Amino acid sequence: MKPVGIIANPASGKDIRRLVAYGSVFDNHEKVNIVRRVILGLNSMGVPEAICMPDFYGIGIRAIEGLDVAMKISFLEMEMEGHQDDSTVAARLLHEMRVGCIITLGGDGTNRAVAKTCGDTPLLPISTGTNNVFPFMVEGTLAGIAAGVAARNPSEEGRYVKQAPRLEVRRNGDLIDLALVDVVVSKSGFIASRAMWDVSSLKEIFLCKADPENIGFSAIGGLIFGVPLAQAQGAYLSIGEGGKSVRAPIAPGLICSVPVLTYRHFSSEEEIPISHMPALIALDGERELIVPPGDALSVSLNPKGPRVVDIPLALRWAAEQGLFIEQP
Amino acid sequence: MREITFSEAIREALRHEMKLDEKVFIFGEDVGAFGGCFGVTAGLFQEFGPDRVMDTPISESAIMGTAIGSSMMGLRPVPEIMFIDFTTVCFDYLTNQAPKVRYMCGGQLDKLPIVIRTTSGGWIRAAGQHSQSLEGWFTQVPGLKVVMPSSPHDAKGLLLAALRDNNPVLYIEEKALYAMKGPVPEEEYVIPLGQAEVKRPGTGITLISYALMLNKCLAAAEALAKDGISAEVIDLRTLSPLDHETLSKSVKKTHKAVVVQEACEVAGMAAQVIKSLMDSSFSFLDAPIKTVAAGNTVIPFSPALEDAMLPSEVMVIQAAKEIAA
Amino acid sequence: MELPKEKLLEMYKTMVAIRGFEESLAAAVTAGVLPGFVHLGVGQEAVHVGVCSALRPSDWISSTHRDHGIILARGADIKRMRAEIFGKVTGYCKGKGGSMHLAALDKHATGCNGILGPSQTINLGIALALKKKKQADIAVVMFGDGAAHRGEFHEALNLAACWKLPALAICVNNHYAISVCFDDACAVDDIAARAAGYGMPGLVVDGNDVMAVHEAVSETAKSIRAGKGPALIELKTARWRGHFEGDPQPYRTPEQLESDKKKDPIVRFSTQLLEQGVATEAELKVLQAQAGKELQEAIEFTEKSAYPPLEEIYTDLIYEGRREVR
Repeated sequence: MKPVGIIANPASGKDIRRLVAYGSVFDNHEKVNIVRRVILGLNSMGVPEAICMPDFYGIGIRAIEGLDVAMKISFLEMEMEGHQDDSTVAARLLHEMRVGCIITLGGDGTNRAVAKTCGDTPLLPISTGTNNVFPFMVEGTLAGIAAGVAARNPSEEGRYVKQAPRLEVRRNGDLIDLALVDVVVSKSGFIASRAMWDVSSLKEIFLCKADPENIGFSAIGGLIFGVPLAQAQGAYLSIGEGGKSVRAPIAPGLICSVPVLTYRHFSSEEEIPISHMPALIALDGERELIVPPGDALSVSLNPKGPRVVDIPLALRWAAEQGLFIEQP
Repeated sequence: MREITFSEAIREALRHEMKLDEKVFIFGEDVGAFGGCFGVTAGLFQEFGPDRVMDTPISESAIMGTAIGSSMMGLRPVPEIMFIDFTTVCFDYLTNQAPKVRYMCGGQLDKLPIVIRTTSGGWIRAAGQHSQSLEGWFTQVPGLKVVMPSSPHDAKGLLLAALRDNNPVLYIEEKALYAMKGPVPEEEYVIPLGQAEVKRPGTGITLISYALMLNKCLAAAEALAKDGISAEVIDLRTLSPLDHETLSKSVKKTHKAVVVQEACEVAGMAAQVIKSLMDSSFSFLDAPIKTVAAGNTVIPFSPALEDAMLPSEVMVIQAAKEIAA
Repeated sequence: MELPKEKLLEMYKTMVAIRGFEESLAAAVTAGVLPGFVHLGVGQEAVHVGVCSALRPSDWISSTHRDHGIILARGADIKRMRAEIFGKVTGYCKGKGGSMHLAALDKHATGCNGILGPSQTINLGIALALKKKKQADIAVVMFGDGAAHRGEFHEALNLAACWKLPALAICVNNHYAISVCFDDACAVDDIAARAAGYGMPGLVVDGNDVMAVHEAVSETAKSIRAGKGPALIELKTARWRGHFEGDPQPYRTPEQLESDKKKDPIVRFSTQLLEQGVATEAELKVLQAQAGKELQEAIEFTEKSAYPPLEEIYTDLIYEGRREVR
């Protein structure tokens, strides 16, 4: 049976959205408890080892304090910079180590960082950030059990591992970045606090997820179309007066009227140039790229993004196989 | 003249000033609807509302910090620290902070009016941490005035003076005096700070004291008179700044002095008064200056012990007689 | 959040001015001509300018011993600041406060408190007075990661929240309280995490990015002015020099110090300004030259100024004036 990787981001859940919206405070102590429950779930499935990303808070170290489990818990040998890139480095290492699955604790941003380098290793994303579309609101114990199912039976993955789409940002044809939910183009400005919440500066929105049940910028797409996106289908919205005004929950407790000028679906065949330049580009809710005048960027949809464990499917399949019935 | 209690006199002064000036506001633990642990602020919350009479959590540092900050901004705060024994937990504000703000900023603030009300003294069986007389410590802080009335009349006049002073003033109310009744004029009157008072004129010996002990000195003077000793009794009223003139004028006349304090005998006001008299009147003294004070120990709970270690009228008479002859 | 070019350039110039001011004090210490101690904020310019650029002149701010930069960013006179640090009578406090008690009350900057903790509770009183004035001004108090462990931190946040005071607490976490590392002094990794325990928002912000600081303080101030109650912001940053000037910092490795310098807030801001076409190299150089000239004037002013006369030993202690008629 393969080992399982755990990447818990200590930084998520403390940004300015706690103030400009009503984001919950997700303190690291709670993350420790979640990782504990994950490990207990993994252990119950007989997973031999969990390999954790180290962090300055010591989420992994604190989680295993006093925990009595048969499995081995180890930590990646890597430099900690104390920011998002740590998750990217950790995911690359875990992928190279051929772990059965990578469990992440974080928001859209954390998973975006992981998706850059996790390759085809399935992800099991547990939500702990603010605006969350990609990760799941799932209880840690169940996440651990489901990850254990994935690690035990890689040949059966097709039954419960799905491929999520991703958006790709290119500069002059070269892939420079990606997003798992949205690429938001706004008026040029400073990256500053990174979190994106100001509707008045929006220009264009590209979505690879847009469901009426989403929160965040993808809600705008979900609510204007009324149905979730189909497979290999993206949504493009241009923002401005003269079209429809959509009342959307773009952050917890923050419901805004967004003037959508045009909106359409697009397929994975298209590469759409970003028409508003210079610009500030936010990826999955966080300002990331400053695009100076003269640069040419484009966005496209890749239906083959990170592979993700479907937890209910994994658990049901495992139950059907009798994996939870103990031999006398 | 009508007679009211020490506690009522204080309340009257507070109420008077709060009506005259909306910048004056009271805050502390239980001062609001409850009326204060000793009932001194009873009725003020009901009359002036929660913006002028504010309850606080048990946070002496926050209480004192709020006083200093709001005073810097032009308000006239009257914070209460329930027992002087608790000034220890916010000592920094009474020493490093309030008395020094104006000096350290070179006078960019021309005033810092704060009246810190607190209670003091024993006799109520509250034991070691709720019965102390710590006034002496605060007289060694430049920039802080210390006031301790001995009667309802003085309580009102001194508090009005304190409320109108533009400096930090520690106004200390002896708990055992709260029920004391005395004549108090209904109208406004101010007893200037920094002025001691001859409460009873005499010629043979000077008894110097303040607060509750002052009353024991008056009683002692009455008893001494029957034995042919004429005692002049001086009430310090303001402990800092000390009224050196009144003290020296009296001792130059009587040539003998007894200083009486409820605080423990080591250091404190008695030592200050003795220094003052040594500086001003040494050659007029016919006898060493005697001190009557509490024993140098912790105030015990048991009534039998407390009553024995705190100074009594008998001790004052005894000390006076030792040097009166 | 968009700031006009003029404001951005002013922010840049102030950061440069603070760096120059602090480094000139370091030189004075080396030359043996500065009396007493100074605690330099080199490396924390984004904190100083980011915070002050987001406040109104009518707001109030209390700061730390490492915040000459705050006083300067509030618009104080650099000549009178330097004169105060050298104990001259032309200083803001007539030479009676020095670096540690440098206050510019006309700029609503109360300066540093020599005791760590009381500034947090004194800020409650300032906030209470502002609340009564009803002009939507706020009272900001800045303190370090070390002071966040004093009892006052607890008392101040609790009472600010209970009374819904317009108070903003800013913890400048530069990871060291003299020689004690934050990791050894705190059981959690973010001071801001404590905010939830007091019923207020707590933000963690990159204190080396002046625009991130500006944005966070600006949004938080807006929220407090709207009556939503107090908040706590934690600015993560680093100080390049010792706790006091002369501290050899044996508790930090050369690698750590090098790594801190790579996050130079002034370089970061100038890069952002140039990248976005807000300013040219030439324009930035003009601002650097202006700041340098003003510093030179302050140095000359300080040298020419006299010490206070001896009578000042006893002034500003007890206010003798009569109370004004109500």
